Amino acid sequence: MTVEIGQFALVLALALSLVQSILPVAGARWRNAPMMDVAVPTAFAVFALIALSFALLVHAYVVSDFSVLNVVENSHSQKPLLYKVTGVWGNHEGSMLLWVLILSFFGALVAFFGDNLPPVLKANVLAVHGWIATAFLLFIVATSNPFARVSPAPMEGQDLNPILQDIGLAIHPPLLYLGYVGFSVCFSFAVAALIEGRIDAAWARWVRPWTLTAWMFLTGGIAMGSYWAYYELGWGGWWFWDPVENASFMPWLAGTALLHSALVMEKRSALKIWTVLLALLTFSLSLLGTFLVRSGVLTSVHTFATDPGRGLFILGILTLFIGGSLALFAFRAQSLSSGGLFQPISREGALVFNNLFLTTATATVLVGTLYPLLLEALTGDKISVGAPFFNMTFGPLMIPLLAAVPFGPLLAWKRGDLLGVAQRLMTAFALALLAVAFILYRTSAGEVLAAFGIGLAVWVMAGSLTDLALKAGIGKVSAATALARLMGLPRSVFGTALAHFGLGVTLLGIVSVSTFGTEQVLGMKPGDVVPVAGYQLRYDGLTPATGPNYTDNEGRFVLLDSAARPVDTIIAAKRFYPARRMPTTEAGIVTHGVNQFYVSLGDDLADGGIVVRIWWKPFVTLIWLGALAMMAGGFISLLDRRLRIGAPAKVKTPRARQAEASA
Amino acid sequence: MSSRMEFWLIAVLLTFAATLAVLLPLTRRRAADAADGRYDIEVYRDQMREVEADAGRGLIDPQSAEQARAEIARRMLKAERDAELSGLKLRSVKGARWIVLLAVLSVPLISWSLYAMTGSPDMPAQPLAERMTRNPADGSVGELIARAEAHLAQNPDDGQGWDVLAPVYLRLGRPEDAVNAYRNAIRLQGETAERALGLGEALATVAGGTITRDAQAMFERAAALDPRDIRPRFMIARALMQEGKNDEAAGLLQSFLDGAPAEAPWRNRLETAIAEIRNRNAAVASNGPDQGDVDAVAKMSAEDRDAMINSMVASLDERLKQNPDDIEGWKRLVRSYLILNRRDDALAALKRGNDAVAEEKRGDLVAFAKGLGLELTEAKPLEP
Repeated sequence: MTVEIGQFALVLALALSLVQSILPVAGARWRNAPMMDVAVPTAFAVFALIALSFALLVHAYVVSDFSVLNVVENSHSQKPLLYKVTGVWGNHEGSMLLWVLILSFFGALVAFFGDNLPPVLKANVLAVHGWIATAFLLFIVATSNPFARVSPAPMEGQDLNPILQDIGLAIHPPLLYLGYVGFSVCFSFAVAALIEGRIDAAWARWVRPWTLTAWMFLTGGIAMGSYWAYYELGWGGWWFWDPVENASFMPWLAGTALLHSALVMEKRSALKIWTVLLALLTFSLSLLGTFLVRSGVLTSVHTFATDPGRGLFILGILTLFIGGSLALFAFRAQSLSSGGLFQPISREGALVFNNLFLTTATATVLVGTLYPLLLEALTGDKISVGAPFFNMTFGPLMIPLLAAVPFGPLLAWKRGDLLGVAQRLMTAFALALLAVAFILYRTSAGEVLAAFGIGLAVWVMAGSLTDLALKAGIGKVSAATALARLMGLPRSVFGTALAHFGLGVTLLGIVSVSTFGTEQVLGMKPGDVVPVAGYQLRYDGLTPATGPNYTDNEGRFVLLDSAARPVDTIIAAKRFYPARRMPTTEAGIVTHGVNQFYVSLGDDLADGGIVVRIWWKPFVTLIWLGALAMMAGGFISLLDRRLRIGAPAKVKTPRARQAEASA
Repeated sequence: MSSRMEFWLIAVLLTFAATLAVLLPLTRRRAADAADGRYDIEVYRDQMREVEADAGRGLIDPQSAEQARAEIARRMLKAERDAELSGLKLRSVKGARWIVLLAVLSVPLISWSLYAMTGSPDMPAQPLAERMTRNPADGSVGELIARAEAHLAQNPDDGQGWDVLAPVYLRLGRPEDAVNAYRNAIRLQGETAERALGLGEALATVAGGTITRDAQAMFERAAALDPRDIRPRFMIARALMQEGKNDEAAGLLQSFLDGAPAEAPWRNRLETAIAEIRNRNAAVASNGPDQGDVDAVAKMSAEDRDAMINSMVASLDERLKQNPDDIEGWKRLVRSYLILNRRDDALAALKRGNDAVAEEKRGDLVAFAKGLGLELTEAKPLEP
């Protein structure tokens, strides 16, 4: 019975979403308050119904109800509980349900925090959000029903793809979806503003927290996905410019641009049209990512559905929302008034610079991702656009952008003093030069590019600290006053500094690991010892072991220091999952500070040995720690009380009473 | 209350609650909202406070603070003007009532018709644990196996469990699982001829019927463990024939036959088999066409196929004339004639067989024929 309630709640949510899509927007058109008011309770109810539906699907997984097709295809009664739960979204149908769950969650959040929004805007925003929910619920019910039943029920399931049986599945998709879908709120705000043809500085203020929230989760989702691929796939790489990765990276780049342009719009009432366009594009890129992953156009661990029918349906949704919103934009954009003026050298100018480079970078990634797909569709030729392309195009675009990062927060609005700012950044510049000199000295000038990369990273990090130091007045006032002023700074200042600092940290990790990391591939027999980064790695042999739903061969390695004392044990394994008849490799990773030893097992050799891949990855964890710092920066900014705006008191005018009576 | 009743009740309640979510705001009397511009003004007021705070902290110089104040004040004035304008727009619409009614009705209508298309209201939920506690006697073979598997997952050292499950797997066409189960049974319960034979068969099935080195080793172990069992020797002979060593295969079976007791029930069969191996040099140890023959038959034309089947039946008939005390042979002959639509020949064969086989086996043969719709009484009354 519980399964059928889940199914019923889902179709009921669809019916209710339809009402949410139509009544409020009609009410807003006719200025009919009760009709507009329908938006809020329906947004809550849709969320409650989808949450109920989702909870019941999770329940079916937990109790191994094999009368549900989705459970049969993706679960196994012997699977550990955590993977039974995460397996719910480790497949197409379930992950779409999670997608709409998060979508409706954001709808409910807008309804909950929306007291400070003008009623017409709120009604329109929630209605547009309802359109998205309706489209995707219809997609689920029509083509991807997670509650489809089988009779008679099999006694055992087919288990989840072993690569997905990992803690990563518990974190990566929910974070990523919170990011992707979070931008739907910005999209809804943009479309709502276009419908009314009225947009101003206040709009940006309302949109900013949602942009920040989505951006924060997307950052975390991408970083987690990267770390997961790094340790699970056993290739030692953390980014492959894989189309699926790009699909998540494009909305991140566009979302980062949006975050910055919304700032200009709020403070200076400028860049309105551009900001609205970015809001539309960011969510469009999220939808594009969904299409690429779901349609079977691409093949990867993310490809759950290869059904062309589903692909066409999503393509339809994509065309409707992207095409529709851009058409609306083209139609309405000229009616939006332009705002404040500014000099090229100013905070606004710096943010335009940021937007210019970020959107160009987004376009680069878009071309690199779609070109091979289009070429294959049109001519049948298969070409691969890989890391070299992106390193040649995306890399150079990032250099001026990163070099400019420390200037932005220091420039004044409207009219900035570039020379003055440069003087104040002297310390940061000196530190960066020092880093360059140090690396050149250590590598005997052998790694010029890496030296400049690390110099750039130090520049970004030191620059963001300079911003804090200057705002606190360190050096100008007494230490106590400076501390007091530092503590009194708005949280968003800390957020900015931390996020920019994190960017530098990630860059430092990327440059270090790609320049100074080492890789060895060799055959080893038990007892063999190989030197790695000043240590000795000894292979002790394979031991068979049994897990709950797999068997594995654990290769044991001991890390010895220069005095041949054991420091660490590294276990790398090869697993076999009988239900899916699939082998996996489990990399053995040991972290020393921010560096990692990474060991992965290959094929058995005829002489009783085994192929072993050993990587030394200096500073590698900085890549993800930097992303965590960016997330934390976003979170601190979000806590800034200045983003909370009060709602005006409700008024009772005779006119309003009359309007109410006539409704 | 049945779970079906419960389902419909909950469905009705959910629909009711969802409909209320639409209905309530439409019927509520409420204070009118502030005009849109008021909300903007609230934002600008907040920005103004922010500028004051930044100026107070010395984050912006007094000149920029003054400019910012002026700019925000301009926005506030504009918003005030807009507020006046937007306040005038409130109006009512004629069709609104109908749209509202339609919207409220659409919730139950759409949800129930969609559910009718996609749901299965009569199917109860079937959590695995609940299915496991049902009476085993009601369960299907699949359920019984799942129950045993669940038990063995908890107690992987229950050798008896593996021993029971192994032959079941083999028969159900899950040879990989059978190999695993036989291995566990041998590890925990010790090696017996039966288990070694089973493991060998399972290994051969995994290999698609080819007797691999591993499988052959198991058959040899089984033969050594039970010197009187004919089955492992048949399998070893098959392995030899697979390698083209027909003479060796015949020799192996012959030497076993020589050492076998005179009253062994399979003596005749074995003799026939040996003779066949020696004669045809390509036949198989078991008394029937091998896969190669079957494939060949499938490729033939209808006439050729009939001719070949007829010749095979004739050779069987011939052999039974030489070795008449072979009830299995007679049964096959009777069935073959029936399949070939030669009912009279079938009856004749039945009579001949009835006369030829030992008295205690006659009942078996007659019952077999009766199962095929052939009565011995049609020809000759049964002896009392």
